[in-house]
Amino acid sequence: MTGEPDGTRPGPATPISDYGLLGDTRTAALVAGDGGIDWLCVPRFDGEPLFGRLVGGRAAGTFRVGPVGPATVVQRRYRQHTATLETTWVVGGGRLTLTEGMVAEANHRLLPTTLIVRRLSAEAAAVDAVVEFDPRLGVSHRRPRVRQRHQGLVCEWGSVAVALGVAPGLTIEPGRPVRITVSPGHPVDLVLAVAHHEPLIHVEPLTAWDLLVEDENRWRAWSADIDASLPFREEVVRSLLTLRLLTYSPSRAPVAAPTTSLPEAPGGIRNWDYRYVWPRDASIGVSAFLSVGKPDEAQGFLAWLLHASRLQRPRLPALLTLHGRHVPSEQDLPGWPGYLDSVPVRVGNGAAGQHQLDVYGWVIDAAWGSVQAGHRLYSETWRAVRGFADVVARRWQEPDAGIWEVREPDQHVHSKLMGWLALDRALRIADTHPLPDRHRHRWQQARAAIAAEVRTRGFDPAVGSYVRSYGSSDLDAALLVLPLLDLDSAGSSRVRGTIDAIRDRLRAGDGLLYRYPPGRDGFPGVEGAFLPCSFWLVQALARTGRRAEAIDLFQTLRRYANPLGLYAEELDPATGAHLGNFPQTLTHAALIQAALAIRDADA
Amino acid sequence: MDWAGWALFGLVATVALTATLISAQLAGLTRLDLPLVLGTVVTADPDRARVVGFFIHLCVGQGFALGYATAFALLHRATWWLGAVFGLLHVGIALTVILPLLPGVHPRMASPRAGPSSMAVLEPPGMFALNYGFQTPVVAVVVHVIYGIVLGLLLRTG
Repeated sequence: MTGEPDGTRPGPATPISDYGLLGDTRTAALVAGDGGIDWLCVPRFDGEPLFGRLVGGRAAGTFRVGPVGPATVVQRRYRQHTATLETTWVVGGGRLTLTEGMVAEANHRLLPTTLIVRRLSAEAAAVDAVVEFDPRLGVSHRRPRVRQRHQGLVCEWGSVAVALGVAPGLTIEPGRPVRITVSPGHPVDLVLAVAHHEPLIHVEPLTAWDLLVEDENRWRAWSADIDASLPFREEVVRSLLTLRLLTYSPSRAPVAAPTTSLPEAPGGIRNWDYRYVWPRDASIGVSAFLSVGKPDEAQGFLAWLLHASRLQRPRLPALLTLHGRHVPSEQDLPGWPGYLDSVPVRVGNGAAGQHQLDVYGWVIDAAWGSVQAGHRLYSETWRAVRGFADVVARRWQEPDAGIWEVREPDQHVHSKLMGWLALDRALRIADTHPLPDRHRHRWQQARAAIAAEVRTRGFDPAVGSYVRSYGSSDLDAALLVLPLLDLDSAGSSRVRGTIDAIRDRLRAGDGLLYRYPPGRDGFPGVEGAFLPCSFWLVQALARTGRRAEAIDLFQTLRRYANPLGLYAEELDPATGAHLGNFPQTLTHAALIQAALAIRDADA
Repeated sequence: MDWAGWALFGLVATVALTATLISAQLAGLTRLDLPLVLGTVVTADPDRARVVGFFIHLCVGQGFALGYATAFALLHRATWWLGAVFGLLHVGIALTVILPLLPGVHPRMASPRAGPSSMAVLEPPGMFALNYGFQTPVVAVVVHVIYGIVLGLLLRTG
């Protein structure tokens, strides 16, 4: 059920899983089941919020189009293999449907960079609906200067302006819900155009609808190229579409998620800004795109990484902005109430300065994937990869923050393993790319030293498993990547023992895993189960000859997706509620890799 | 006008600009790489692009040097500080007009409006080329002032 009798929004926060994603590969909007766009940053993923009610409360603005009073959602879906979202409510004797999307292809056309098209249509009977348009820009929720034009409403804040195009005769005022009646056969279109440092470009509602349909056809054609024999193909296609929607086309860099500060623990302080690019997560996405026959996406990311890392090379930052700049330092937004009172709401990210050894492994593995797929690295790309491998050979003995970005560095076994992977894959690339013998020898020595140290100091014979860090008996679900590495054979007792121990000791519920023992990260409160780890478990099972178990687990995990096939980063094991920023690139990339592992496993 | 000086010192000034820019890149101050940006109009291979782009840059530099030489001739004076002033004017136009317009004509440069079908991979510079690092405007000013000073010192007005 959704909505209040007067058309305003209900009080309690909408569950994260109730949101759908609209995207144009430059920015993204989150739409609640009641038709409210509660999150949209302009002009880019990491821009200023225009609608921020998701974590900013009522004062942060929304754009709701939906039924006036309480109504039941009877269907919510993406049109097949597209980014167009459809929500249908039963209202009285009629059905009200909201069809909406963002126009992605704006290049070389006189179109706004951000264009949202929303169409309300009724079936069976005329239905009363509400339009609540309340744009508030930035951290202080600035109200716009408003003008009514014959094409609709124009709201301005200096360099940013938005135009809401509506049918003639319909007058919208910001912040005041307006009732309309939608009759069968007479849809109502609303078109939101955003201008940033440029004049507004007005698009007629019918033209905008045609543009959306054109985009739909493009997405369908894009999806049709994806390997038809993939297991769980529908889930994989939705995940690939999500990854692509979250990839910023002007630089080809994928953001980790389009949101900030959706909490990992409701009411807690584990609220982070994910609107940046983690080379680690992006590299996993690259491998996924390559494996399903989408090499252009993979090449685009490698080109971005080459360019983005230039200022800090050979050091590889843990995260970067969309344009490869330093991520701003973490800052709390005063007065933002947060999602379910989870404060602080943060912008910027403090993990940017951390040393994370594992990143080098993921990135070089992605480059190796590209070479395996038949692409020769440009000389400059190879020089960059060599530089990254040199850093690993030089620094692998140092403690690091690890994949989980803990604030106290430690000797993380997973980081060492990924360091080993970095050198191993660099050496494999060197088989077909020039490398002086002395250099090769140095890498080989470092690789052997890592293997020897990890086998002795990183393995607990009592548990029969690799452990989280040297001297610890804690486990780490990131170690589920072990079967991908060839450090130990996939069938070895060490690999199988590690998989089974993680499955047993980090179990958080049916098919769910904690990433490490709860509460062992220096932050108050306990976080949820970490979804990518469950998909890594699927992958590990498939890679170690346990395909049937892998399929069973995948079947379980697909039930945790929201009705639109989207996943957050974490899940509350007790309630099944999605937690953390949403939707998550890493989770969707891990899902794709899990399906690929099942495809490639012996039946 | 000093045609012989233009022919020789235009090249010298452009080489000085390019060398300073490369030094700034190596020092981690900027990702602005003019030979790469210009060369990728012709080829996608970064290494080849730099070679091709270097020669394109020499030609472009020669074109700008013609403007400097003409201006010195018209003013009947050529001094280092006048060259530096022209350099500031030059970089102002480059950062606010030329570089932001590049995505409109460069076949491998993405624009801020790029969508899913865009195969362009070179990042757009943005206003003041800030996308290439926050120190980029400073580096750009320094290298163009050096270019102007070199021309101001070496060109003659007669």
